[in-house]
Amino acid sequence: MLKIAWLIPILPLLGAAFHGLLGRRLGKAAVTAVALGCTLVPLVLSAFALAAVQAAPGRRIDLPYFEWMAAGSLHVPFGLVLDSLSSVMALVVTGIGTLIHLYSVGYMWEEEGYARYFCYLNLFVFFMLTLVLGSSLPLLFVGWEGVGLCSYLLIGYYFDTEVASAAGLKAFLFNRVGDLGMTMGMMALFAAFGTLTVGDLLVQAGRLGPEAGFGVLSFATLMMFVGATGKSAQIPLYLWLPDAMAGPTPVSALIHAATMVTAGIYLICRLAPLFLLAPITLTVVAWVGGATALFAACIGLFQRDIKKVLAYSTVSQLGYMFLGLGSAGFAAGFLHLFTHAWFKALLFLGAGSVIRAMHHEQDLFRMGGLRAKLPVTFWTMAIATLCIMGFPGTSGFFSKDEILFLAWHKSPGLYAMGLLGAACTAFYMWRLMALAFWGEPRDAHAFEHAEESPATMTAPLAILAAGALLAGLLGLPRIWGGSFAIEGWLEPALTYGRPLLAPAAEHGGAGLAWGLMALSTAVALAAGFLGWRIYRRGPAAEEAFEGRFPALYRTLARKFYVDEAVEACILGPVRWGGNCLWKAFDVILIDGVGVNLPGALTRAGGDLAALAQTGRVRNYALSMAIGAVLLLWFFLR
Amino acid sequence: MFLIFALITLAGAVALVFQRNLVVAGLCLVLCFMGVAGLFLLLANPVAAALQIIVYSGAIVVLLLFVVMLLNEHQEEPAARSRPLQRWLSVAVILALGAGVVKLVTGSRVLRQLDANARSAMPAPMTLNKLGDALFSQHLLGFEVAGLLLLAAMVGAVALVKRDL
Amino acid sequence: MTSLNSLLCGGLQGYILVALLLFLIGLGAVLVRRSILLQFMGVELMLNAANVALLAFARFRGGDPQGTVFYLFIIAVAACEAAVGLALVVGLYRHRQSTDTDRADALKQ
Repeated sequence: MLKIAWLIPILPLLGAAFHGLLGRRLGKAAVTAVALGCTLVPLVLSAFALAAVQAAPGRRIDLPYFEWMAAGSLHVPFGLVLDSLSSVMALVVTGIGTLIHLYSVGYMWEEEGYARYFCYLNLFVFFMLTLVLGSSLPLLFVGWEGVGLCSYLLIGYYFDTEVASAAGLKAFLFNRVGDLGMTMGMMALFAAFGTLTVGDLLVQAGRLGPEAGFGVLSFATLMMFVGATGKSAQIPLYLWLPDAMAGPTPVSALIHAATMVTAGIYLICRLAPLFLLAPITLTVVAWVGGATALFAACIGLFQRDIKKVLAYSTVSQLGYMFLGLGSAGFAAGFLHLFTHAWFKALLFLGAGSVIRAMHHEQDLFRMGGLRAKLPVTFWTMAIATLCIMGFPGTSGFFSKDEILFLAWHKSPGLYAMGLLGAACTAFYMWRLMALAFWGEPRDAHAFEHAEESPATMTAPLAILAAGALLAGLLGLPRIWGGSFAIEGWLEPALTYGRPLLAPAAEHGGAGLAWGLMALSTAVALAAGFLGWRIYRRGPAAEEAFEGRFPALYRTLARKFYVDEAVEACILGPVRWGGNCLWKAFDVILIDGVGVNLPGALTRAGGDLAALAQTGRVRNYALSMAIGAVLLLWFFLR
Repeated sequence: MFLIFALITLAGAVALVFQRNLVVAGLCLVLCFMGVAGLFLLLANPVAAALQIIVYSGAIVVLLLFVVMLLNEHQEEPAARSRPLQRWLSVAVILALGAGVVKLVTGSRVLRQLDANARSAMPAPMTLNKLGDALFSQHLLGFEVAGLLLLAAMVGAVALVKRDL
Repeated sequence: MTSLNSLLCGGLQGYILVALLLFLIGLGAVLVRRSILLQFMGVELMLNAANVALLAFARFRGGDPQGTVFYLFIIAVAACEAAVGLALVVGLYRHRQSTDTDRADALKQ
């Protein structure tokens, strides 16, 4: 099986080529079959790979294929590495990817660019798998850039609309800013360690003492975090994610919930030993993550577009993951990544189902009463909402609480941010559910025609719901009787010989853990109930609130005016600068002096010379005589 | 003798340049040609002298005066725009050239050599016999071509002036 | 023989000087005067200057007949030129009612 491990990323690539070149001609059935096949087979292969990793020594299998770059002292291999981290991540990508491919069949069936969609989607899976399985940082970076490209292509899928094209571009550009950080981080790491192969890097790091953490390593890890910020939509590079909702909903589910945005977290987990050596960076990560979690949750409180609510929710949940990573809870952060993939994908797909039923209506204020009409959608989304708010027993509960517990030990301030964010999360999620599924229908016409989605769409919803509930078992904490299995599983990949910080459970003991757990649960339940209560009859309460606190409402609803600030402070000056350069440099200097001036000079010179052409013979005779004088003088002097 | 004829020639020429009246200018031209004929005589070439008087002052100048009378333009008309630049520049050029010429002639060794050789020995004067000999033997082709040229010029002159062909 | 003697007493240098001065005066007539007929007279002067130089050299090379032969050809050419040129002058006058060469500047840029 290991001999064909390379098929895991390559099959989706072949699928993409097929769709791109032949898809239009061979019809939707062929496209569907190939698309599903090219994600299902890698899923199966990934399962086998997981089993192989389980059995392998040190839970790590290196599969080098050939030498990719050899330049001076830089030797970059082209190969795959299967270890506990990458194999789980590969399963997530292929598993949720397959479900979303299945869902997309139903969702995108009437679209004109059916083949194009699956081409991009398969391409995305290829790049994501390259990112996950790559054995060296440049190869990871190829996948990194590739998923950014596919994100751009898929967000801009409806390229004939202004909104989608602009959103795609925005996503790509913000990613690019992050990529700059990542590149600098890579260069710094190469300068420090002389290698870019992940395995070698981490082995070398494992041998360093803790005092090595300052200087180059801090810089490199910080730069890597900047890259992660761009990809995973943290402050200040999160602005692209809400705009990315202009793409088709399955795209939002796959790319902007489950896989691409988690690449940043994956990167940090991958380089965990390095980050463990740089406590400054970890602190930065934690605080940025915590701030993002709270900030985005606040914005999500009053959004009217169902997808925008979920987008800000994603940004917020990613913040939680970084919060966990920054608190040295790499396993906890990864667990949250895992559980979040399930329930956020489910939420997006459910939202897609709602949107499709309501004839592409996305405004929550126009929905209502869909509980009876869309039963499967309703129940699966309800399960997902329970997960995300951290209802006891659900997967989200375990992962979120683990993060909050670790955050408390890092700093109570972080815990407070996380708690407040959790309250907001519960509130806006139940607001969403209430506005969509409860109350009187506010758009009678669309409500009339609303019906449950076809099986190709509801089946993935059901599967995801089951996964969302069960995923928590991986992270069942010790105080509940479990063994926090995920930590043990991931340990070889995260540590490379240097010990993780002592398990946090040893700090403060079980009592603190139960207490914090109870507090966060109570807060979340209260906030969720409040949200449901206020909105179950409709948005009237919100309008009243807007009347009472107009400034506050507007600030939150307008996303703290950050977009406007960026436009004013960054984009405006850049455009102005470009305009000046155009007018001054291009028009005056290049066009004027470079191009027009020689022409004008030549013409002037010609006009000057033409003065001698008087048309009068006398003058010409005089010129000849003068010439004769000069010649004679020259020859006879 | 030489000096006299030389001065007549040059005086006629200079007078020509400054003449207002075209007819008088033509007469100055005749005077100049007479001087040249005299110079030819001094050069032991009576044939050339005769030809000069007959053809040049007798035919060509007559033709010229004929056209002057035909056009009835006895005076040069006043200029539309005064062009001092042309005038002064021409004068300057002429003077410069003149100075150069004098320097050239007086300083030339070749001229002095030739002069020294043949000055004293007065050659035999040119006769029609000698001229005819040379013309019809060595330069026959040129002679014939010149004839053709004259024919062409005649025909051309007539063609140019006809009002309707 | 000194140059001055040669110049003043009919030596070669004298003749050549006369020829060249005559040429220059003819040139001056062409450059300074506007009437085409006067310019034509200047051209005749220049031709005669050439004739003088030619015959002077012929005599000082021992009475070479070729000089006179060439002189004949020059006369023939001058006659042709006079005929055709004056025909053109007549044509020009008919067209423009003027013999001022400064008016004939249609090729002006």
